[in-house]
Amino acid sequence: MTSRDTATSGRLEPSSNALTPCPTTRPSRRRAAALATAAFWVGLASPASAQVEPQDSAFAAHIRPFLDTYCATCHNDDLQTADLSFDRFETGTEASAAADVWNRVAERLRAGQMPPRGRPQPPADAKAQVLAWADGFAGAATPDGAPNPGRVTARRLNRTEYNNTVRSLLGVHGSPADEFPADDSGYGFDNNGDVLSISPLLMEKYIAAARSLSRDAVFGPPLPDEPFQLAHYMARRSHDADGSLDDADTLPYSMRGALYGSHLFPWTAEYELRFRVANYRQRAPRPEGAPRRPRDAPPLPPEQFLEEMRLAAPPVPVVATLDGEVFDEAIIEGVNAFGYERGEFVTRVTVEAGEHDFRVSYPHIADIVDPRENMLPDGRRVMYIDYLDIVGPFKVSPAPPASYDEIFICRHQPGTHKESCAGEIVTNLARRAYRRPVAAHEVERLTDLVTQAQDAGDSFEEGVRVAVQAVLLSPHFLFRIERDPGAASDNANADAHLISDHELASRLSYFLWADMPDDELLDLADTSQLGRPAVLEPQVRRMLADPRASALVDTFAEQWLQLRNLDRAKPDPARFPAVDDELRHAMRRETDLFLGAIIREDRSLLDLIDAPFTFLNGPLAHHYGITGVTGEAFQRVELDGSQRSGLMTQASILTVSSYPTRTSPVLRGKWVLENLLGAPPPDPPAGVPPLDVAAVGSTVSLRAQLEEHRANVTCAVCHDQIDPIGFGLERYDATGAWRTHDGPFEIDDSGTLPDGTTFRGSLELKGILRSQQDAFTKNLTEKLLTYALGRGLEAYDAEAVDAITQQVAAADHRFSSLVLGVVESQPFRMRRPE
Amino acid sequence: MISSRHLPRRAVLKGLGATLALPFLDAMVPAFARAAQVHAASPTRMAFVYVPNGIIMDEWAVPGLDGAFPLPTEFPRILQPVAGYRDQFSILSGLMQDGGRAHGDGPGDHARAGASYLTSAHPKETAGADIQAGVSVDQVAAQHIGGQTRFPSLELGCEEGLYGGNCDGRYSCAYSNTISWRTPSAPMPQETSPRAVFERMFGTADLDPDPVRRARRAAYDQSVLDLVLDQAKTLQGTLGATDRRKLDEYLFSVRDIEKRIVQAEQAADVAPPELARPRPGVPQSFIAHARLMFDLMTVAFQTDMTRIITFMVGLELGNKVYEEAGVSEAHHGLTHHRGDAGKIEKITQINRFHVEQFTHLLERLSTTNDGDGTLLDHSMVVYGAGISDGNRHHHHDLPTLLAGRAGGRITQGRHISYAPETPMANLFVTMLSYLGVEKESLGDSTGRVAL
Repeated sequence: MTSRDTATSGRLEPSSNALTPCPTTRPSRRRAAALATAAFWVGLASPASAQVEPQDSAFAAHIRPFLDTYCATCHNDDLQTADLSFDRFETGTEASAAADVWNRVAERLRAGQMPPRGRPQPPADAKAQVLAWADGFAGAATPDGAPNPGRVTARRLNRTEYNNTVRSLLGVHGSPADEFPADDSGYGFDNNGDVLSISPLLMEKYIAAARSLSRDAVFGPPLPDEPFQLAHYMARRSHDADGSLDDADTLPYSMRGALYGSHLFPWTAEYELRFRVANYRQRAPRPEGAPRRPRDAPPLPPEQFLEEMRLAAPPVPVVATLDGEVFDEAIIEGVNAFGYERGEFVTRVTVEAGEHDFRVSYPHIADIVDPRENMLPDGRRVMYIDYLDIVGPFKVSPAPPASYDEIFICRHQPGTHKESCAGEIVTNLARRAYRRPVAAHEVERLTDLVTQAQDAGDSFEEGVRVAVQAVLLSPHFLFRIERDPGAASDNANADAHLISDHELASRLSYFLWADMPDDELLDLADTSQLGRPAVLEPQVRRMLADPRASALVDTFAEQWLQLRNLDRAKPDPARFPAVDDELRHAMRRETDLFLGAIIREDRSLLDLIDAPFTFLNGPLAHHYGITGVTGEAFQRVELDGSQRSGLMTQASILTVSSYPTRTSPVLRGKWVLENLLGAPPPDPPAGVPPLDVAAVGSTVSLRAQLEEHRANVTCAVCHDQIDPIGFGLERYDATGAWRTHDGPFEIDDSGTLPDGTTFRGSLELKGILRSQQDAFTKNLTEKLLTYALGRGLEAYDAEAVDAITQQVAAADHRFSSLVLGVVESQPFRMRRPE
Repeated sequence: MISSRHLPRRAVLKGLGATLALPFLDAMVPAFARAAQVHAASPTRMAFVYVPNGIIMDEWAVPGLDGAFPLPTEFPRILQPVAGYRDQFSILSGLMQDGGRAHGDGPGDHARAGASYLTSAHPKETAGADIQAGVSVDQVAAQHIGGQTRFPSLELGCEEGLYGGNCDGRYSCAYSNTISWRTPSAPMPQETSPRAVFERMFGTADLDPDPVRRARRAAYDQSVLDLVLDQAKTLQGTLGATDRRKLDEYLFSVRDIEKRIVQAEQAADVAPPELARPRPGVPQSFIAHARLMFDLMTVAFQTDMTRIITFMVGLELGNKVYEEAGVSEAHHGLTHHRGDAGKIEKITQINRFHVEQFTHLLERLSTTNDGDGTLLDHSMVVYGAGISDGNRHHHHDLPTLLAGRAGGRITQGRHISYAPETPMANLFVTMLSYLGVEKESLGDSTGRVAL
């Protein structure tokens, strides 16, 4: 769940007057306001042709009077409401110097939060005039009219990028960066250049990683003297055990008894996979209505006993898969009174080096609607998989690892290399690692390392290993550097300029793949083709169709929608006893698959709001109360849209925006406003008198309790915006399941928005969201652009954002049009020197 | 580069048992002695243990205003677990961190609390670009005495950094992910994996047993570091000012490693740890995790790996569910109780639970011999929070415990109540002087405190 709730402290203590609307206007302003009002109405342009005029006369004629009439009653030097006074802006010139004040003004005006309810409201066209003015000058280009694409600070690879890059560069497996400290994030994403830093701790980790990666890449992971137990996997003891899932051999808990996870197999070889099926006895089944047999009753005749046992313990299948392919399956028989046989199954499997998913389970349990049927009263599971051991390696191929070929491109076997191989290997390695052509002296310093090793008595391969180690620690590898012509010299060029083709290749690949540019991109950059429109667009489409584009889901979308918080979400087991780790993972998977489909099928962005399809497996469908979907595997499901469609009614989102014990309309409203509409509500101010919550017992519904929130005008200013959205989602409990009642109270999921629109239920709410497609698209554009650039957006990016938004709308909001819009934008193609 | 006094690995292992290993970088091989080392005079150590989201002050505060008083016979609920150590620690009240207050900025008391706690600076309100706090007291100490130990300092934690979304108001998550700052713009990340902490100090298990091969690789490591340093210096010369600062971090970090290599070569013999190598990852149980980290802190002090440690029990704004404390709601959500008795009770349980875990550290430090006394006798350990009343986000009257005698300089067993609004930085300046680091001032300090 999100760890940001709205109850953090706020701005400066407002004066006590701020809790009630301000009583009087100031006399001097009143007269000026009256005089200016006439001029205001006469001079008003129609909204469609509202012009941007930051000059003093326009300000005096239009903006200042508006402020006087609708704003300065509270926002003046005496009262300083919310620490804001408009008094200091006597002229347009003075106003122009305070860009971020006007950004906030525009936000509040646009969202209908200001002027507050109960105060005189401006007519729509007057408001549009002011909005156009505030937006227009806030997005101004640099004083001399030149384009301002901004600049990105040199940034190091973050953890995800490091993992992907070393795998692509060297052909090794594993995720060494998982040991690095967590990346700090800025503006919502963990690839922000200004925030990513290097500390001595991180440098130690880089060095350790460079050592083991270079060794694994050249020689393969060191082989043990004999096969040994690589892993002993067990599930956590119960689904209400505390702690993270990071303990290496501990797997998520499944009430349905499955054991699943992924394992990194270091070598291509045979492995022995041993799993044990286990179970606890059930009670004897009793025919309906039949009385319990007394203790001292004579034993059942054999045929009847066997029949009861057969009914209680029919043979069931157990299936074990690796990457979805079955490597073992069996039928488990009932063996004694109301129990099953237990035992270990051993299979030898040939496995390619790398990370593989495994799963052992009883498939029929996925179709039981309530997983608690597989639980005994004391918390143990009736049928479950006890453990999975991985033993090996057996019959390892003596050949060098696959990564050897990635590095030793001269194609010689170990021990047979020629003199010229060093230069060839190092040039290829450095070019791909530094993501640009390399100079002769750079290559020479690396081949010197190869020679040093050979002179010390080590092999050529060991020498290359040292060169690999050096490359992995080089700042050219760890940082994405973009040059400005003559940056450090006195006659530095201060104009914005196109970034180089190689810099563009890196931006593209880290944007769409979170990975290094592949050979095709680098080759196009070498021949200066990449930047040409006829080449760039097909490349973007190729990259979107590539499997690596899953990074847009796993990295961009998961951060945008704050889905990473789902790992930390802990629905209270007492209230939600049927939610275990496996179900939470299924929730995540549903959303990942849905997002993947939107991207792969190049669907409209608006489908994110209400597309009537999703991906479910049996257990998740049971959780939703949807019939007709069975089995453990995920499948695409068409929905009728009445209860579920789009993102907002997916369990992952609904759980992330709830507390462990209950829903929160405030959190959900905030989630929608922040992540879908780009209109985050401000945090509550400090000094607010606490609600008299004690007077409201559990005899009042949650909705009624929240109405107390809004009885106070100061609170209502924001909560009128936030709460209705949450109410519209109240029929989904804190784990996303459908419900009609909250305890004894029937749920009222109607809502009224600040502008008076009413709705009932999530479907109508989504309809309203769809009608705000401009805000939705603009928000997604801003988020994607922030992620693509690796920096927060500034006022001068507003023009680019507007251009992209319009482009997307004109292309039916197709996802690819958004990506292309970002890639072709000025901030992405260009750069301003310091 | 292994000097002749370093024993071959097998010989060493024979005498010392099975838990030994050597560090990840061949160039950093220390020599392991047959007997524990004895310092001429035991150095003073400093540690900070931080708890987030404030404390229910009604169940923490003890009587006494303006002066020093003996500790009460009856301890308030939250402090009851630590009553058994009453002559080894003192309660300090009246301290404040002005840097945590808003001073015109928007909401973000948690980010500010964490970022100001050890820096006594007011952090800059920004969500990404140009983060700025101050230099934290532990890093000030590290700059002066850190060179005498293998690690200038250690930063540990139980909770990995939050990511995705801004963390508090318009403040970058960088502000709440740590309390230790090397420079105003360089936060020090925490290590949360016990195994990783162990391996940083005592090495990974998979190194080459052959000392000759290790020596050769140590030479390669040195050449590699020389090369990348050269590359970075050349590169830096071609960049603009902002980018140069990024490369500065890189250069500092590489040079730091090189210094430690030199130091390891010259290091005095180090006694092996009496602690088994932890399993990979993070323990499921919070109690197990916290205690393991406290064990590692003890071992780090004992083997003189470092003399300065900071440890965050949880991150500011942390929303952990402490089921082992019997609470099933998330931490931060509860702390905005608005007077609800049920929530206050649960937070009290969490606060007390944290103190219970802290006693494990006191137990380890007070029972570990360190020359002419125990480790605790030679340490200063601060347990505290950057927020007092978590509901109202107060930054004054911060709940603080100070344990350890700092080699006899501190008298314990008291409640010292300072004048209201006494800067916490005054305590830091005083503590630094006990480490032998004389500073005129730090952050917003106005002098020293009596201890």
